[in-house]
Amino acid sequence: MNKPLVLAVEDDAAIRNLISTTLETHNYRHLTAASGESAIMEAVSHNPDVVLLDLGLPDIDGIEIIRKIRSWSNMPIIVISARSEETDKIEALDAGADDYLTKPFSVEELLARLRVTFRRLNYSANNTGNESAVFENGNLKIDYSACCVYLDGKELHLTPIEYKLLCLLSKNVGKVLTHSFITREVWGSSWENDVASLRVFMATLRKKIEKDPSSPQYIQTHVGIGYRMLRV
Amino acid sequence: MDGFRSDPDELLRKIKKEERSQQVTGHLKIFFGYAAGVGKTYAMLKAAHAAQRRGMDVVIGYVEPHARPETTALFEGLEQLPDLVAAHRDITLHEFNLDAAMQRKPQLILVDELAHTNAEGCRHAKRYQDIQELLKAGIHVYTTINVQHIESLNDIIASITGVAVRERIPDSVFDNADQVELVDIEPEELIERLNAGKIYRETQAQKALGNFFDIKNLTALREIALRRCADRVNRMSEKVRLSHRDIYYTDEHILVCVSSSPTNSKIIRTAARMANAFKGAFTALFVETPSFLQMNEADKNQLRENIRLAQHLGATLETVYGDDIPFQIAEFARLSGVSKIVMGRSNMQRKYVWSKPSLTERLITLAPNLDIHIIPDQNTPIYKRKRMRQKKGRVVLLDAVISILLLVAVTLVGFAFRQLGFSEANIITVYILGVLLTAAFTNQRIYSLICSVVSVLTFNYFFTEPYLTLKAYDEGYPVTFLVMFLSAFITSTLAVRMKQQTKQASEAAFRTKILLETNQLIQKGKGKNEIISVVANQLVKLLRRDVIFYLAAQDTLSEPIPFTVGSPPISPAYIAANERAVASWVCKNNKHAGATTNTLGNANCLYLAIRVNDTVYGVVGIAMPGEPLDTFENNIMLSILGECALALENETALKEREQSALLAKNEQLRANLLRSISHDLRTPLTSISGNAGILLANANDMDEKSRKKLYLDIYDDSLWLINLVENLLSVTRIEDGTMKLRLSAELMEEVIAEALRHVNRKSTEHKIVVQQPDEFLLAKIDARLIIQVMINIVDNAIKYTPPGSNITITTSAQDGNIIVEIADDGDGIPDDAKAHIFEMFYTANKGLADSRRSLGLGLSLCKSIIAAHGGEISVRNNSPKGTIFRFTLPKEEVTLRE
Repeated sequence: MNKPLVLAVEDDAAIRNLISTTLETHNYRHLTAASGESAIMEAVSHNPDVVLLDLGLPDIDGIEIIRKIRSWSNMPIIVISARSEETDKIEALDAGADDYLTKPFSVEELLARLRVTFRRLNYSANNTGNESAVFENGNLKIDYSACCVYLDGKELHLTPIEYKLLCLLSKNVGKVLTHSFITREVWGSSWENDVASLRVFMATLRKKIEKDPSSPQYIQTHVGIGYRMLRV
Repeated sequence: MDGFRSDPDELLRKIKKEERSQQVTGHLKIFFGYAAGVGKTYAMLKAAHAAQRRGMDVVIGYVEPHARPETTALFEGLEQLPDLVAAHRDITLHEFNLDAAMQRKPQLILVDELAHTNAEGCRHAKRYQDIQELLKAGIHVYTTINVQHIESLNDIIASITGVAVRERIPDSVFDNADQVELVDIEPEELIERLNAGKIYRETQAQKALGNFFDIKNLTALREIALRRCADRVNRMSEKVRLSHRDIYYTDEHILVCVSSSPTNSKIIRTAARMANAFKGAFTALFVETPSFLQMNEADKNQLRENIRLAQHLGATLETVYGDDIPFQIAEFARLSGVSKIVMGRSNMQRKYVWSKPSLTERLITLAPNLDIHIIPDQNTPIYKRKRMRQKKGRVVLLDAVISILLLVAVTLVGFAFRQLGFSEANIITVYILGVLLTAAFTNQRIYSLICSVVSVLTFNYFFTEPYLTLKAYDEGYPVTFLVMFLSAFITSTLAVRMKQQTKQASEAAFRTKILLETNQLIQKGKGKNEIISVVANQLVKLLRRDVIFYLAAQDTLSEPIPFTVGSPPISPAYIAANERAVASWVCKNNKHAGATTNTLGNANCLYLAIRVNDTVYGVVGIAMPGEPLDTFENNIMLSILGECALALENETALKEREQSALLAKNEQLRANLLRSISHDLRTPLTSISGNAGILLANANDMDEKSRKKLYLDIYDDSLWLINLVENLLSVTRIEDGTMKLRLSAELMEEVIAEALRHVNRKSTEHKIVVQQPDEFLLAKIDARLIIQVMINIVDNAIKYTPPGSNITITTSAQDGNIIVEIADDGDGIPDDAKAHIFEMFYTANKGLADSRRSLGLGLSLCKSIIAAHGGEISVRNNSPKGTIFRFTLPKEEVTLRE
């Protein structure tokens, strides 16, 4: 496989430099853009594998860029934002971003996120045909057609809601799903109270599929944002 | 940096205040004429056109429909507001539409006929009140008026022309106008115009000509008008002159006595003119006597009318209470420094039929230094006071029964006395006793009178020879009868009067008590609501009427707070939306309105503003189902409301002081924070930039180990900075002393796991254990902030305990709360430090933060965050050693949705 191409959109030169240095030393091909305008131009002309997008750009609102890119491509977008912009993060995820990074971030974290994304890309590239029938992730196996879940080959007994949650996460593996997105998908509406229900069901689901629920292997919590299933 | 920024709230207040003081009131221009037809409306319209040409936004609010084509032609080119059409009985009346005008809000509005009386159902009884409202809203007004409509000139003109006009305006409206333009033509020309039919249509013209428009009258009117104008100018220049010297009034103080006599109005007018002429203070005095309560409705109305007139003419109204009118007047005059008393001659022979000297004579003896001006009013019919017949039939019947029974009893005693052979004198005494008792037990004087007569007759019938006839043989009997009658009658009169005075005195005492009590209660009352309920309950007690309160804040009223007599629910008619509208009008205009007033008189309640100067703190509504309040009640009510307003003002001032103190404290905190931060930022930044600089310059000359050391320092310092910034971000969310929380249900184990992911990486040297119950603990919290709390506490534990120590995090549920305990087995915190540990900028090392890595912000922030969640945070010793931090969070009970 070719070396993957990463488009880094960041208006701050120092951080842009940090990102490009990191990418270079870890064998990624990369492009950089300092404004929303040029970011869209680069994305259109080079069709990168992943976009790292800073939300606070001087010319165009980051959310707007996500919507523009999503109008013609499903390329993974990882949003980079400062911590104070929590609501922006949720908005970005709901607009179609796949993941987010919070400033200040460490280089390891950035690389880990990229790896997660590429693993997902590779997986879906290799399993385009039978995606809808069976899902396998580490020791976890979901048979969508039979509505069965297996862990280490043993069948798990899940409640209908737990199963729905697991399916939703597995079908969006690697992507951070916001609370409101999940409640909408699972319950059909988004109530205040649903978040509490969601937390409880997620905890019971974890107890069933995780070996150590306090350091989960499959389902990652993003406090204040949502959940994500990791590709193991 | 922070010191130079002025407080925005303060700035806003200042701006608002300036706005208020600059708030332009409209200018009033009056086109003033001496008779109809001089061309006032024409002149006004001309001026309006001129104003429009100057670029003003001019609107015709209301101009009487004219038959004169020259006038009508001037309507052309001016916007006209639609009239308010009010159906009144069978006729439809066209009125000036005040609401439309306020909504349209032009720069200049034309409203004809200043003295007009509005149809029933309009907001104000009088048009000049409409105009005052327009002026208050900053709209300039042009209006017209004729001389005979000015209150103080009204009677003079009536005496010249023989026609009294009922539509009048207070002199102050005229005098306070910004501009008065006299529209003047020669009387001959006016009559010519009239004959040409320009003023009234044919038939009306004949009539008008007959009784009003003759050359003599017109000349006189013209003279009065010119003089009044000159007077006004004179007074204005005087005012300007005097205002520079800070004295306005001369020493003259004119007092007029108000009575219920219809001729009293003439005296009041005369007094007002005198006050004007002397430029003195003007007071109207009403002496409330015991008989006031028995006054009939017509007299009461007349009295109210006279009082209103006096107030119109600029008098301050005072009421005193007592039986002895001249004494009360003299006392009042002495105390208030009155120099001249104006009174009518009718006062002189009013009620002192028998013994006393006339009122004037007594007044002269009592107050020899006063000038007393007596105004003759002989051509009016002699004024007689009628008794009020209002008592219920039942009471009358009861009184009659009592009288008859007493009479019978007395007669029986008389028979007994005669049997026993007592003299007639004893029997007479018994009869007098009977009359005295009748007076004591009945309510009206007429019974005593009848009783006296009947007693004499019965005595004559039963006890004088010949018995059982009304004849008397003895020549001395007529004298006996007369003496008996007189003594019976006088005794009874005195008894009745004593009774009334006692009643009045007790009532006065009751009211004074209420006033005193109110004062004391208000002093004790804390908070607006308490003050209001105290005042309202006192008003209910005093007036025996339902009372409704509205609190005002920035010109908007709160929901009505009703207080009722007894405890039935308030009648919905008193708190309906239209009643509220009246209340808010009162609040905006700072004037009383509603029932029994001239403004919005068809409301169910009387509304008064609770105010100090220009600030309205609330509006009180008094239910007015029956008759209006009497003056005494009114005065006491006003003083209670005055007290209330002062109390509310104090309250507000107190609140403001507290608020500004809080602001100052916050400001101080921020300043401290900034000072502390700049120090704490500089230290690690110096280290980072210094180390990086060394690496840039000398990296090649250094060995691997020392390079690594520098890298590590840079990394540690930046991590430390990151943590600092996280805390600062949380601090910025503390605004106005409260924190803006984004609460949602969070699972405690997730929160703890997330927090542990962010604690200092040195935590690898410490053992961190989490103990959780099996059940799911959901807390209603702002996850981001609670994570910050845990990070701060755990980081602290790591920082202040030696490597290898154990840190245990325990969660449990108790009484609807979630309890989180973070325990370490380090060296513990000394007890004296525990008390200060949650204070800002305190560090466990010592005193105020001054050394490196010492931003004592973490725990104080924790405390604020936990407090904002309604929880508590505390610290105690762990056993055998170490520290336990404990905090509570609200537990979220969840019903699962499957």
